[in-house]
Amino acid sequence: MSPLIWLFALPLLGALGLLFVPASRTVLIRRIALVITGVVAFLALDLLSDFDAAAPGAGGYRFVQQIPWVPSLGISLHVGVDGINLGLLVMGALVAFAATCVSREIQQRTKEYYVLLLLMVGGILGTFASLDIFFLYVFHELALVPTFLMIGIWGRGEKRGYAAFQITLYLTLGALVALVGLVALYLQSGLATFDLVKLTEHLAANPIPAARQAFIFPWLMFGLGVLVSLWPFHTWAPLGYGVAPTATAMLHAGVLKKFGLYALLKVAIPLLPEGAKLWMPWLAWLCLGNILYCGWVAMRQRDLNLLIGNSSVAHVGFVFLGLASLTVIGVTGAVVVMVAHGFLAALSFALSGWLYGQTRSLDMTRMGGLLQRLPFAGSVMVMAMMAGCGLPGFGNFVGEVLVLFGGWKSPVLICGGLLDFRWFVAAAAWGALIVAAVYMLRGIRTIWHGDLAEDWKGVVDPAGGWRKMPFVLLLGALLVTGVWPRLLTDRIEPGARRVVEAVEASRPAPNLASGSPTP
Amino acid sequence: MRPETLAWIILLLPLASAAAITLLTRRQRRLSAALSIGAVAVGFVASLLLTRSFGALAPRDGEFLLASVRWLEVGPLTVDLGLRLDALSNLMLMMVTGVGLMIHLYSRGYMADDASYSRFFACLSLFMFSMLGIVLASNFVMMFVFWELVGVSSYLLIGFWHERASAADAAKKAFLTNRLGDFGFLLGIILVWGALGTVDFAEIQRTLESDPTALGALATLGGVLVFMGTMGKSAQFPLHVWLPDAMEGPTPVSALIHAATMVAAGVYMLARAFFLFDLPAAWPDCLSFLAGISALDIIAWIGGITALLAALMAVQQSDIKRILAYSTLSQLGFMVMAIGCAKPDAGMFHLITHAFFKALLFLGAGSVIHALHHEQNIWKMGGLAARLPVTTWTFVVGTLALCGVPPFSGFYSKDGILAAAESRPLLFGLAILVAGLTTFYMARLYFVAFAGTPRDSHVAEAHESPGVMLWPLRWLAIASILGGFWGIEHTLQTVLAPAAGHGAAGHGAAGGFFATLLAPFGHAPLAACLGLFATGFGFALAYSLYASAPAQDPLPARLGSLARWMRDKFYFDELYDVLVRVTHDAAAAVADWVDRWLVAGLLVRGTLGGVDVCGRILRLVQTGNLQTYAFLAAAGLVLVLWVMLL
Repeated sequence: MSPLIWLFALPLLGALGLLFVPASRTVLIRRIALVITGVVAFLALDLLSDFDAAAPGAGGYRFVQQIPWVPSLGISLHVGVDGINLGLLVMGALVAFAATCVSREIQQRTKEYYVLLLLMVGGILGTFASLDIFFLYVFHELALVPTFLMIGIWGRGEKRGYAAFQITLYLTLGALVALVGLVALYLQSGLATFDLVKLTEHLAANPIPAARQAFIFPWLMFGLGVLVSLWPFHTWAPLGYGVAPTATAMLHAGVLKKFGLYALLKVAIPLLPEGAKLWMPWLAWLCLGNILYCGWVAMRQRDLNLLIGNSSVAHVGFVFLGLASLTVIGVTGAVVVMVAHGFLAALSFALSGWLYGQTRSLDMTRMGGLLQRLPFAGSVMVMAMMAGCGLPGFGNFVGEVLVLFGGWKSPVLICGGLLDFRWFVAAAAWGALIVAAVYMLRGIRTIWHGDLAEDWKGVVDPAGGWRKMPFVLLLGALLVTGVWPRLLTDRIEPGARRVVEAVEASRPAPNLASGSPTP
Repeated sequence: MRPETLAWIILLLPLASAAAITLLTRRQRRLSAALSIGAVAVGFVASLLLTRSFGALAPRDGEFLLASVRWLEVGPLTVDLGLRLDALSNLMLMMVTGVGLMIHLYSRGYMADDASYSRFFACLSLFMFSMLGIVLASNFVMMFVFWELVGVSSYLLIGFWHERASAADAAKKAFLTNRLGDFGFLLGIILVWGALGTVDFAEIQRTLESDPTALGALATLGGVLVFMGTMGKSAQFPLHVWLPDAMEGPTPVSALIHAATMVAAGVYMLARAFFLFDLPAAWPDCLSFLAGISALDIIAWIGGITALLAALMAVQQSDIKRILAYSTLSQLGFMVMAIGCAKPDAGMFHLITHAFFKALLFLGAGSVIHALHHEQNIWKMGGLAARLPVTTWTFVVGTLALCGVPPFSGFYSKDGILAAAESRPLLFGLAILVAGLTTFYMARLYFVAFAGTPRDSHVAEAHESPGVMLWPLRWLAIASILGGFWGIEHTLQTVLAPAAGHGAAGHGAAGGFFATLLAPFGHAPLAACLGLFATGFGFALAYSLYASAPAQDPLPARLGSLARWMRDKFYFDELYDVLVRVTHDAAAAVADWVDRWLVAGLLVRGTLGGVDVCGRILRLVQTGNLQTYAFLAAAGLVLVLWVMLL
């Protein structure tokens, strides 16, 4: 059996198994969850090391397995990885383990919590392992439901109800809009299959008429965009992450959110290349909203989680920009940002969770000088914030720089050729180098530097190897991807190349409405 | 050992030391210091060995060795982690590790009482790694990577005493100002890559030498953008504001990073990538009003303006470290100006000698500050010469070198710059003026702080620093005296001058001691004589004002508001504050307002409210009253029948 199936089956089975453990055995429950996510993380790393040796199958996917489920509709459990989802899976598995580690803060209804957590992890990993659009979608929904529940039950602050409501509404709506697009795509392909590999091959040879592509694409772009907080549909993100329990924020902001980007990259762009060509200029405009506008919003935040949330929204803008550039470098960079941002968002929320556990407040105006009391957490947070403003040595830098280089050579024309894509690169570089640095450094200055306020004499650092481990793990992952980016890029590039070539190779298909095929 | 191996050792040892201190030896202070110092010392020895096996002081034209690993390869973009070994980088290696070693040793004494002793050495090692990375980088992307890392180590060291608000603010300001420059630098790199398809220095050079118009209409813009990196890192006008504030860091840091090495990185980059700037002027259509202005013109004038402004500001400062900081700014302006005048060898020569004497001056200032228990105001000093003899004589050596008095090293390097500027009369006049000002403010510093009688009780109790701090002073003093005779200039001319299209016909070649001593008067008599005259004039002026040991600065009374402007740094900080407030902060406020009230408020809450209202209205219909339902059903039926039948 493909190791990929274990990756998501283990957490799902674990969630099932936990149901039979008495709720009073909290330590046992936690240990089971830790062991399961630990094994999953190990399996994912093993996958990474075996990846190059495994023989590539159709569409360049490895570790492929297909189990038919509803043949009449063309639905099957089809798993496989290329470099793109491999990176996401490894990132997701590591983040899942770290998220389980920091879940010690949960004291109430522990059993339900870990059941939901494992369910979410299983859903997430299933999403990124699936090559069948049906399962891709279903696994995503499977992971979303625990997200809402966890925010509603274990969330914090008085805005919890409103935030949980808003995030549920937004994400359900986004998923629904995307679903319309997916169904339209399914019907238009005429192949009666949800299989991504078959669809890709088929549509490359028999494209959907350009006018229909142009109609279907925005459903996917905006529906998936809402899921990834594309400007101006972003306000759910900072608020939702601000109130979510630490592990949920880590898993959603870090991993699950990438579903929208991943589906855009793997489904929307290669299957609807003409639609992509038409709509990418719009995406380029909107992603500036993420990078600059949300960066500016982040500059004004007083709550640390809102700062991290807004900065996370801003980082997602680079992924959009990389995708919009439709170049190999840009798309590769976008995937690197996805992976690096996953580690970074998880790390930032883990740290702010620790801080909240100590101070019971994330109001930055009340903080200051905390580095004196929290040398470990503070140093790691400073490094995380530096990674967030694109410091070399961390994975984000590699991704952002690739996006900028790729964007410079982008063939995409904006406003009918009036504006060069290079202007967008310049604006994004401003966002990465200046705006991000301003809010990150202001954050460091107000939280960690300066005089220690009287209130915080009692706060303590994570003590002992076990408590430090999730932070060290995530920081280490960021450093490894930053120092040795080829670990990712060499594997991502073939996948990115296939996507870009699918777009480049596409010729506008004859429009059915016009009746006669054009030569 | 193979030179490539040596280069890797030089680069990676400081990184290993930083990692080891952070992870393992944080609590063992002595061991941490030993690790850090050991890494630099090995680097210094290895740099000297490289000279032997590679021959920095007897270079061969245009040759270099490359040790590289493919770091990134995506589509048409390839980036190597490459180390480029040639006479230029070798010279810089020796300077950086040599001066670095002195300052590491000095820090053992200076920081001895600090609680975060290990952290200090870890940061110093991280800085050394980053700086050596810049020196050895073989392509633009690697240089940018280390460029940023140097920026962050500088941030960590300026903010070393992060519990002090002023230090934390200064660190933030330094990083952000540098980022502005890096923004241009990165865009410039991308632009060059976009046109030429490579980021490798050697390949770009080859392309541009065979076809100077390869960059097309973007040539000058690319050069200026890349130069923005220098403006940030070397604190050139208008991004000069961070450097004086950076003096909040511990004094050894000021000496190493903000005087001798990091701030010089911008100048080094200009010399390393000189081929990119030395191109005929070409502007895109939308900037055609700049036609005819080449990148070198802009560089030269930015350098000149920085030199003058900073020298003027230095005249009215009263903090000993700030005077030296403005002096550093001014000298950096000189170096940049020399490169703008198409003499990268002159700029680099001054960079090297300046590193010796400015590190010396800063360490001397540190020794004074150490002796006076962190008093930095020169108007509370006076009469130090009697109490701190070693510090004083070495400080005097540094001062003489900085003022350009023969035969100290500064004379030769400054003369090279003055000679370079001769072709541009306006800049030449400006340079002479700056030379005079330099002598004036340094003499003022000496007379007020070292000569005369103590103005404060601290001075009376002051005693000389320990040997671990004094020996670096002595060694650097020797280097400052002899720097002009070591053949550095000859080396640089051989490496850089051919690239610049000039023959290696300068002075400093092996021609006997006296020939070298007098060479400047031979090949550029006007520059040498005017420079000396300016020095003398500046000294005379300072002597007349300050030699009588006044209690207060007599200058403000004579200059009036000009003195105030000089003291308040021409109000650049205030101007920038306003600029940031009306641009970036305003944008942030607007974005935040829109986000809070329009997007999250009106749209999201509005939708929510709308749905809520609809629900409430619909609830009115759902009464639970059978008659109402029956009535509605009947009404519906009637409606349907009406539609269908009519």
